[in-house]
Amino acid sequence: MIKITNLEKYYRTEEVETVALNKLSFEVKEGEFVAVMGPSGCGKSTLLNILGLLDDPDAGSFLFNGIEVAKFNERKRADLRKHNIGFVFQSFNLIDELTVFENVELPLIYTGVKASERKKIVEEVLDKMVIMHRRNHYPQQLSGGQQQRVAVARAVVNNPKLILADEPTGNLDSSNGNEVMQLLTDLNEQGTTIIMVTHSEHDARYSHRVIRMLDGQTVMENIMI
Amino acid sequence: MFKNYLKIAWRNIFHHKAYAAINIVGLALGIAACLLILQYVNYELGFDRQHARKENIYRVIQDRYDNGKLSTQWAAGAYAVGSAFKEAFPEIDDYVRLNQAGSQVLRRGNDLIKLENPYFASSSFFKIFSFPLVKGDPATALKEPFTVALSETLAKKLFGSVDVLGKELKVTGDRIYKVTAVYKDMPSQSHMHFEALFSFASFVQLIGPDNNPDNAWNWDGCLTYLLLKPGTDPKKLEKKFMAVVTQKNGESLKQYNADVKYYLQPLTDIHLYSNRMLEAGANGDGKTTYLLMGIAFFVVLIAWINYINLATARAISRAKEVGIRKAVGSQRSQLIGQFLFESALLNAMAVALAFVIILAVVPLFNRLTGQSISIGQLGGGMFWLNFLLLYIAGSFISGIYPALVLSSFKPIVVLKGKLVHTTQGSYLRKGLVVLQFAASLFLLIGTLAVSKQIRYMKKQELGMNIDQTLVIKKPIVVTDSTFLNQLTSFKNSLEGQSGIQKASSSTSVPGEPVGWNAGGIRLLSQPENVAKQYRVIGVDYDYVDMFDLKVKAGRNFSRDFGEKKGVIFNESAANQIGFTKPEDAIGKDIFFWGDTLRIVGVVHNFHQQSLRDAFEPLILRLFPDVRGYISLKVHAADVKGSITKVEKEWNRFFPGNTFEYFFLDEHFNSQYKSDQQFGLVFGIFTTMAIFVACMGLFGLASFTTLQKTKEIGIRKVLGASVNSILKALYQEFAWLILVAFVIATPIAWFAINKWLEGYAFRMRPDTITFVLPLLVILLVALITVSYQTIKAALANPVHSLRTE
Ligand SMILES: Nc1ncnc2c1ncn2[C@@H]1O[C@H](COP(=O)(O)OP(=O)(O)OP(=O)(O)O)[C@@H](O)[C@H]1O
Ligand SMILES: [Mg+2]
Repeated sequence: MIKITNLEKYYRTEEVETVALNKLSFEVKEGEFVAVMGPSGCGKSTLLNILGLLDDPDAGSFLFNGIEVAKFNERKRADLRKHNIGFVFQSFNLIDELTVFENVELPLIYTGVKASERKKIVEEVLDKMVIMHRRNHYPQQLSGGQQQRVAVARAVVNNPKLILADEPTGNLDSSNGNEVMQLLTDLNEQGTTIIMVTHSEHDARYSHRVIRMLDGQTVMENIMI
Repeated sequence: MFKNYLKIAWRNIFHHKAYAAINIVGLALGIAACLLILQYVNYELGFDRQHARKENIYRVIQDRYDNGKLSTQWAAGAYAVGSAFKEAFPEIDDYVRLNQAGSQVLRRGNDLIKLENPYFASSSFFKIFSFPLVKGDPATALKEPFTVALSETLAKKLFGSVDVLGKELKVTGDRIYKVTAVYKDMPSQSHMHFEALFSFASFVQLIGPDNNPDNAWNWDGCLTYLLLKPGTDPKKLEKKFMAVVTQKNGESLKQYNADVKYYLQPLTDIHLYSNRMLEAGANGDGKTTYLLMGIAFFVVLIAWINYINLATARAISRAKEVGIRKAVGSQRSQLIGQFLFESALLNAMAVALAFVIILAVVPLFNRLTGQSISIGQLGGGMFWLNFLLLYIAGSFISGIYPALVLSSFKPIVVLKGKLVHTTQGSYLRKGLVVLQFAASLFLLIGTLAVSKQIRYMKKQELGMNIDQTLVIKKPIVVTDSTFLNQLTSFKNSLEGQSGIQKASSSTSVPGEPVGWNAGGIRLLSQPENVAKQYRVIGVDYDYVDMFDLKVKAGRNFSRDFGEKKGVIFNESAANQIGFTKPEDAIGKDIFFWGDTLRIVGVVHNFHQQSLRDAFEPLILRLFPDVRGYISLKVHAADVKGSITKVEKEWNRFFPGNTFEYFFLDEHFNSQYKSDQQFGLVFGIFTTMAIFVACMGLFGLASFTTLQKTKEIGIRKVLGASVNSILKALYQEFAWLILVAFVIATPIAWFAINKWLEGYAFRMRPDTITFVLPLLVILLVALITVSYQTIKAALANPVHSLRTE
């Protein structure tokens, strides 16, 4: 599903040039659950943003379902993103002015789903995430774990083929964290490909495979048993 | 999609009420001010548009040159141009002549009705101008001698109905005019406002067969309007005038070393751009109108800037939303649409509120500006068009920049929680704040300058005394030849009354243009071709004394010398005729329309008119029994009683005449009415502009302090005092205002001087005019900022640090 070859990304700030990704290559097959690990600053988030088409690489190739997307413009990226990719962030990133229901509904609005259908789909997903009873609450009125469940709900509501999660449990206590990991595992079992950045060896154990990074390069891949 | 936009926009407005209120109220005030001014401007721009053939109607105006120097600019010039030009140029379809018929008294039963300024008009008047007739035939209405057309109101006043065709009207004395037409009252948006028009044929009869207007190239006072054939280029036609003038009148002009140029003035330009001798009425002022338009723009601009500033300042709090929306697939264009939609929503609320404000203040606005905008008029198409334009322009102008900024946020940056602290944005915000304050300073400096000029004009020595002076308008109905004696007896009888100190009669009084403009005047010893034009006032022996004019050389008129042929010059006149030292003029004889008159004295220049006007060469010509205004110096103690006595005498001496009087100082100061109104309007809109700007500053200060709350907390923990924290915050805003001052001052300086060009006597804009506004703005701004910052500075640091 994903194949990156010699991906490079630099950040230039005034005098300093940081190499965030240094000729990085790997492949992720459809249905995989991959964890990306590495020390702080090694380029994990950068990688995830590029995979999520939120950012573009400076060099290298990125095949998404066999299509070269490295040189896509913003318009095309947004288009591809809204149909295929869901995001889960460390800091939940829900819109404070929208209710739980409305937050989850948002991706459907951008893909042009009709209102009546949206209601059905959103309720289904909220049910699955066991957050239905909070549908009319605002994010501020929820606990961290509940917020992340809403975020996961929003990530999957469009039925994306790929979910990218950047430290999804980073802001949660262990029991809430485990709950979210269970949700991701369930989704993966239903066929969704998942790439997750994490600092936690515990969380990484939910995945099939760990990609270890150092200074913008993969240093090792090990299969979890 | 829009439902979602609406939802989030609505909740944003609701969650940040203060922010929304600042925006909505500011925009509403700006829009209301702008619309009101535009309404006024539209009114001023809309004069004389009711005429079906307005595009083809031009007035012939006349510039007179003496010895190569421009001396007079006439609205009403030579009589002959109409017929001569029509004959010479096939491009001219028709022409109409109008000239003043002088004030008249009409009788209705026992009541006297005074006709203030009626005109004679030639028969094509109702063909060229589209003043609809209620009764009568436009083609024939003013054809015959001694016919008259009445306005609807006057017809009703005189006869109680408009069915008055063929009725006879007794006009001053016993001349009978036959009513041949009744026209709808001339609209207020017209440069002509005639209550009655007498046929020009009557005038021709009155002046007798020896005087033919068609040959009258040297009498002034005739308004001539031409109806050009469609497609005629007025500029080209104008160029051809000179040949005709030279052929018909060249010789006579050469004799006086004079020159006359004729121009075509579009009918629709008259109201705003014409201020010449003998206009058909007081016109408007294009400069003021455009200045007001500028102010309107400033006020609304300040409100738009508020929106831009507050929206971009708040961008940080919307950044996350942008990032999320992008992450879940929103296109940038969709986000731009969303933010424009929000500004459209806020602007919609603002225009609604603006409308309410307008409804509430229209009566006040009318009172202040002397306008008569009715609520009904607000329904006019132009109003709604402006309304819509302001709405659309406002939504777009205020919304587009924040929309572009917000939609440009990169999701990876904002979602990481790394708040964008764009220095670029804050520079722009500072730039806009500077712009706002520059505009406010400009307006404030302008307000001060206008009021200073008005004060200056009112305080200036006039060179004469007009206090305690009661002026009676001259009697119009004079039945017998003993009138002159009557006038003298009347004056004498008044002077005998207690409470009345002096009496004098004259053809003009101070506070108005001198109506008598005489050309061809020279020293007897000079050749004809150096003769020039002078303003002339016919005065009696007591005039100089009455107004306390200061004799500079020679003497006042005196009954002791038994002189009848004396003149007194003012300094300008003495100068113009060729004397650098006034005493040299004394005893010299001048040639005045065939008479020889002796200069007995020269008086210091005095302000016959407001200080807008320069001193003009003025001749006081002695007519011991001059018929004109009668001025009375009354004791302050019993003014009312004096008036009663005077009226009694008046009715005894001049039965059949209306008794009309005014106080000369009021009359004189009424010349400043339009200046004062302008100053007031200027001041009001300036206050509004500053208020709106400060609201924006308040909002901005709130956000800045909110961002700085943590900084303030840390500083306090580190031991900074409240004062030092306030100082740092004040400094930032003070700097912005100083920069604004540096920008505004030269522009204001330039604008003030440009405006003052319209005044012959000007105040000098001093340092205070510029520095005071700076201090005011600094103070107001600091107070505005203080509220938020003091709150933040006094807050317990533990609170602000904990909320992070
Ligand atoms: N916008 C940026 N401008 C400049 N440098 C950046 C930017 N974003 C990231 N970097 C740099 O690129 C490198 C990789 O950053 P990245 O955020 O991908 O690391 P990370 O592996 O996700 O770290 P962490 O585990 O702390 O989240 C770092 O050295 C970082 O400082
Ligand atoms: Mg990271």
